[in-house]
Amino acid sequence: MGSITLMHYLVLGALLFCCGLLTMVVKRNAVGILIGVELVLNAANVNLVAFGRYRGAGIDGQAAALFVIVLAAAEAAVAIAIFMNFYRHLTTVDVDRGDLLRG
Amino acid sequence: MSSLELMLLAATVIPLGSFLLLALAGARLGKPLAGWVATAAIAASCVLSGLVVVRWQGMDAAARAAARSAPVPWTVLGDVPLEVGVNLDGLTVAVFFMVTFVSTWIHVFSIGYMAGHSDEIDGRSKFHRFFAFLSLFCFSMLGLVIADSLVLTFVFWELVGLCSYLLIGFYFHKPSASAAAIKAFVVNRVGDMGFILGLGMVFWFLGDLSLAGAARRFAEACGDPGSALRQAGPLGLDMATWLGLLLFCGAVGKSAQFPLHVWLPDAMEGPTPVSALIHAATMVAAGVYLVARIFVLLTPQALLVVAGAGCITLTLGALVAVVQTDIKKVLAYSTISQLGYMMLGMGVGAWIGALFHLLTHAFFKALMFLGSGQVIEGCHHEQDIRRMGGLWRRMPVTCATFLIGVLAIAGAGIPGTSVGLGGFFSKDEILAVAYSRVYGDGTHGARPHGSAAPAAGPWAMTETGHRSALTHAVPGVEHAQASAPLPALLFWVPVIVAYITPFYMMRCWWLTFMGRPRDDHVHAHARESALMVVPLVVLAAGTLVCGLVLFRPLVAEVAPAGLLAPTVDGHELHEVHHALMPIVGGAFVVGFAVAIALYARGLSLAAAIARRLRPLHRLLEHKFYFDELYGLVLVGGTHLLKGLCDLFDRIVVDGIVDALSASTVRLARFSGRDLDERVVDGAVNGVGRTTWELGGAAGSLQTGRIRLYILLAAGGVTAMVWLALAAGG
Repeated sequence: MGSITLMHYLVLGALLFCCGLLTMVVKRNAVGILIGVELVLNAANVNLVAFGRYRGAGIDGQAAALFVIVLAAAEAAVAIAIFMNFYRHLTTVDVDRGDLLRG
Repeated sequence: MSSLELMLLAATVIPLGSFLLLALAGARLGKPLAGWVATAAIAASCVLSGLVVVRWQGMDAAARAAARSAPVPWTVLGDVPLEVGVNLDGLTVAVFFMVTFVSTWIHVFSIGYMAGHSDEIDGRSKFHRFFAFLSLFCFSMLGLVIADSLVLTFVFWELVGLCSYLLIGFYFHKPSASAAAIKAFVVNRVGDMGFILGLGMVFWFLGDLSLAGAARRFAEACGDPGSALRQAGPLGLDMATWLGLLLFCGAVGKSAQFPLHVWLPDAMEGPTPVSALIHAATMVAAGVYLVARIFVLLTPQALLVVAGAGCITLTLGALVAVVQTDIKKVLAYSTISQLGYMMLGMGVGAWIGALFHLLTHAFFKALMFLGSGQVIEGCHHEQDIRRMGGLWRRMPVTCATFLIGVLAIAGAGIPGTSVGLGGFFSKDEILAVAYSRVYGDGTHGARPHGSAAPAAGPWAMTETGHRSALTHAVPGVEHAQASAPLPALLFWVPVIVAYITPFYMMRCWWLTFMGRPRDDHVHAHARESALMVVPLVVLAAGTLVCGLVLFRPLVAEVAPAGLLAPTVDGHELHEVHHALMPIVGGAFVVGFAVAIALYARGLSLAAAIARRLRPLHRLLEHKFYFDELYGLVLVGGTHLLKGLCDLFDRIVVDGIVDALSASTVRLARFSGRDLDERVVDGAVNGVGRTTWELGGAAGSLQTGRIRLYILLAAGGVTAMVWLALAAGG
């Protein structure tokens, strides 16, 4: 077993991304989807930090990761506000029921 | 403008005012008042024209010439200036006075006449309309008399024709009246067509539409052998002759000359005062008046045609009048015959005699027509003289005045003296000139009897020396009188008719007023109306005195220069009159005697003769079959032409139109159904449908399921990455 390389982080990021994506696709609960989104964002964070560490970009990767975290927090706030309205209209947070814009 | 001209103008316009008043407010004025308004208007005109006559009589020749002012420019036709003015001369004054005087009394008569007639149509009185039309007629007729240009003459000419139409058809709910009105109008159109063509020739060849100017130019052109007027035209007559003949056509229509005489008898469908005023005294004489005014435009050939037309007309009219049984028809045919005498007079050069006859005829014929109106009115609209008889007891004044008219038209007088009634002088004057033209030496201007001594009595009023100063006549017109002797028929036919005239007039009078009543019902109810008697008496008085004393000198002073002497100089006329005495002097005695002998014992003797002469009687009864002939040839021809046009219309025109429409329908069906619906609509609908279906297909992807979107996005990104890797690898 060698040392931990960039590839490991990337695979971890990809797995994390796939988990998040899978969560988003299979969860009907809006909060579950939000959790999936967090996973996807954090997969991106892993990649950002890993690339920053291994490609010698200084703290750029970490700075971008911090931005994403902040963005994720803001996004979560907005998303939860949307869910509140969603619930108020449909008395549920099942996203499959929110198909009012279907073609 | 001189005061005389202003007076004539005012006298012309007053009836127009009355017409406007009656047309606008006539219904409000009501039954007797509307009539009195019109009567007052024409009476005012009459007084004015009477004053003009009095002043005119008091003026010498120089003053008369000075009283005439220059015409006023009206407009310019092309490069021909059109000027209008009052044609002030003795003839105008005389005819003007005659028209206003006769009109006035006919208006008075009309009020009485219309009072007894139902004049309601659809419950609304047409009384005021009658007088409105009469006023319009008076205006038009007076305008015609004073017009000094051919254009103005034509305008008023048409206006009197219109009034004639309106008044003949006054009882337009009667089919015969409306048919007669249309007939009169259409027949007159035929003549007026010629008139307007003649006007065109005057405009083209002479370039001056005033009477005086046209006469001057005509004389110049005829004096110049190279002028366009001397060119040969159709039928071997030169253009100058055609010009005169075309203008004469108008007179043929209006004055009911052969071959356009057929409308006048039918015009008797109008109210009797209208027959008296328009179709006996004034309008029909307008044709003669026109010929008098254009006399200097008539070449010898044209004058021969005028004389011929007059000769045929006077014969036809007199012969047909012999067998008529409708009192108004007798008078109508006698009018035609007398108009024929006037035309004959014009044609043979008896200019003065013809106009003199016009004026005297107006009086006595108006008198007789009003008399017949009185009879018809009194007998409850009975017009058949066979059912009358013995009316003198019931209508003494009408009987006496009618007799005066009969004596006047028959030319009664004491042979060898100057005592006589209208026709005695005027008709014999025409015959005298005809005699001189046929048997004289033929040189115009000559004085066959050599004497120029002033004659005594009423003949001595003429001042020959001043004539040319007062007229349009100029020395160049002599050609119009050039001088081959005329055919002897032009003298002998009128002489023979002069025997027939007293016969039919006496027959009419005798059957109406004398003998035993033949219809007790008619006789028992006959009565005279006081209002209608007054005009009869006045006109009878006028017939007795006015004609000779007043009119002949007035007319004579205007006569174109270069006429035959006997017509101008009273003394020589007198001698011709004497010379003719054995031939025509006793005509009225013979005619009267034959008529009285035939009808003294009622109708049986005449009926027996009629049976003997059955073909002739039928020919006359059917008025020489002119109506039938025209009906067959003209109306039938028109119908035939109509049929041909109809066929042409149906087959050719309709065929073309139908084919065109069918092909249009076919084209429309092709372009509408095939091209538009299938191609254009198909393209548009196809685009729409495709868009719709694409939208539907794209819309079906939008399931609204967020998880599916994510899956698709992820799948899409995966596919792209995979594709990129595959491409790059």
